[in-house]
Amino acid sequence: MKKQRRFGGFFALGAMLLFFYGPILVMMIFSFNDSRSLTSWAGFSTQWYTKLFESRDMMDAVRNSVTIAILATLISTVVGTLTAIGISKHKPLVKKLFLAVNNFPVLNPEIVTAISLMLLFASVQVFEKGYITMLIAHITFCTPYVIMTVLPKLRSLDPSLADAAMDLGATPFKALTKVILPQLTPAIISGALIAFTMSFDDFVISYFVTGNGVSNISILVYTMSKRINPTINALSTIIVVIITIALVLINVVPLFVKKDKRKVVTE
Amino acid sequence: MKKLAVALLALFILVGCGSGSGEAKQELRVFNWGEYIDESLITEFEKEFNVKVIYDKFESNEAMYTKLQDGSKYDILVPSDYMTQRMREEGLLQKVDYSKVPNYENVLPNLKGRHMDPTNEYTVPYFWGNVGILYNKNNVDVADLESQGWNILMNEKYKGKLYFYDSERDAFMIALKAHGYSMNTTDPAELEVAYNWLVDMRKTMDAIYVTDEVIDGMATGVKDMAVMYSGDANYVLSENPDMAFYSPAEGTNTWVDAMVIPANAPNPELAHTWMNYMIDAESSKAITEAIGYTSPIQSVIDDVTGPGGTYEGIASYVTRTGYAKDEEFFYDADMKVILSDYWQRIKATN
Repeated sequence: MKKQRRFGGFFALGAMLLFFYGPILVMMIFSFNDSRSLTSWAGFSTQWYTKLFESRDMMDAVRNSVTIAILATLISTVVGTLTAIGISKHKPLVKKLFLAVNNFPVLNPEIVTAISLMLLFASVQVFEKGYITMLIAHITFCTPYVIMTVLPKLRSLDPSLADAAMDLGATPFKALTKVILPQLTPAIISGALIAFTMSFDDFVISYFVTGNGVSNISILVYTMSKRINPTINALSTIIVVIITIALVLINVVPLFVKKDKRKVVTE
Repeated sequence: MKKLAVALLALFILVGCGSGSGEAKQELRVFNWGEYIDESLITEFEKEFNVKVIYDKFESNEAMYTKLQDGSKYDILVPSDYMTQRMREEGLLQKVDYSKVPNYENVLPNLKGRHMDPTNEYTVPYFWGNVGILYNKNNVDVADLESQGWNILMNEKYKGKLYFYDSERDAFMIALKAHGYSMNTTDPAELEVAYNWLVDMRKTMDAIYVTDEVIDGMATGVKDMAVMYSGDANYVLSENPDMAFYSPAEGTNTWVDAMVIPANAPNPELAHTWMNYMIDAESSKAITEAIGYTSPIQSVIDDVTGPGGTYEGIASYVTRTGYAKDEEFFYDADMKVILSDYWQRIKATN
């Protein structure tokens, strides 16, 4: 009876893993396909990787996606964290009101945000549509997520921490950077990760606010309506590999670091 | 915190340099279909004329048209014929000075003076082709195709074995041609006949409605028959020797994608240079070899279908001419509304 249940569990786990990773595996295999076809195997070749690095279009799209994601993450994390800290000191009514406003872009369908941003940039015309407008749009939709992740953590902090720090002689700025922010670090990091993913992944909003030949990876793939070519598989494979390495590093490195610390303590 | 600020600044400067270099250069803004050019030509053009090309891509005529509405400016567009006609009629295009496009004289004469541009003032053809049936030689009887034409799509012998193109325009073209009508008809009775034919097909044939997935599906031989653009057929034929292409004698849609200059183009002078460069025999050959659609220049067609050429022995590459019943699609706003309505109803039937 017990064994059977264990087998059932393994089966479910295996099926789930297959479901998650099967498609990715197929894509990785076909990135080494010798023919243009996306579904029939014609032998091993690395031609799509060569084509990927030769393609100006793709490399531009990769550069845009990565730099915009990084910049949007940095800016929205800073803005979002400061806003969260500021809002936590306000009256409950203001707080509630602000949170409702903050939730709006999160709950709003992306397409509505996209159209409204497009109209804004088209009517204001301070910036020509392109890199800058895309960056602004990304910061706009990333910030609420950072606020949403940082606020709960702030609520769990002791409200008198800052006061205690200042009693002990810290300036308000020092109290913020030396006391409050270190306490918030886990929340800030997870906020930043969400922001990065949202920005890297975004298609709808980017599509509407960009122009002048600036496109990111998702727009590039979308416009390949005439032919999808396997360079995309090659690019996706590289992204998957980088993410895998990053995840392994994030999960494994702390284990070693912690061990070292414990050694110091016991010595 | 300080480090973060420095990193941020550094990134800004990096990005700024990347996009801001070469400011003194002239800019050319091109808006073309995705996967519709040999990319090395862009770089070569930039080098040869010491300019910067901003190359943007769209995935449908309608998306391109919408993008222009939000104030985006381009020097070169490559719409399909009916969209070219619409834009010309709405005054969105400017005339081409053909004295600056000497290579235009190489363009096939049957691509000039078409409905999209009857007086040859606005367009320089880029690709052309028609629509036909791609079929598996082993499983489809050519005699059936020749005797039934478009109506083979209603032959229950091939039930469950076909792909149908998911586009109202192409669907009605087929249905109208199957009954011997003009594909640009505005006669409600004829449109209704076509509508009923399409509904019947939807009910009986068990066809799969697809757009660009059809290319891969046919290259791997999933189905036996598919409605297909000749340019896509060229590609499939070069991958899968079991397939063949047939354009029914009842007539079909012959289309032309042409380069045009919008009325508000910032740099029309350079746009002419680009047009001339793209229909140069060498460039046109590079594009057609990379993408698979048919070149508008006879010498290129002869070259790539000749011995040792990329498309040697691929019948669909040479788009047929001289069929009186072949037409091009006209733009008609009222008719489009009727067709869209019909098409939605067809897609809703089970």
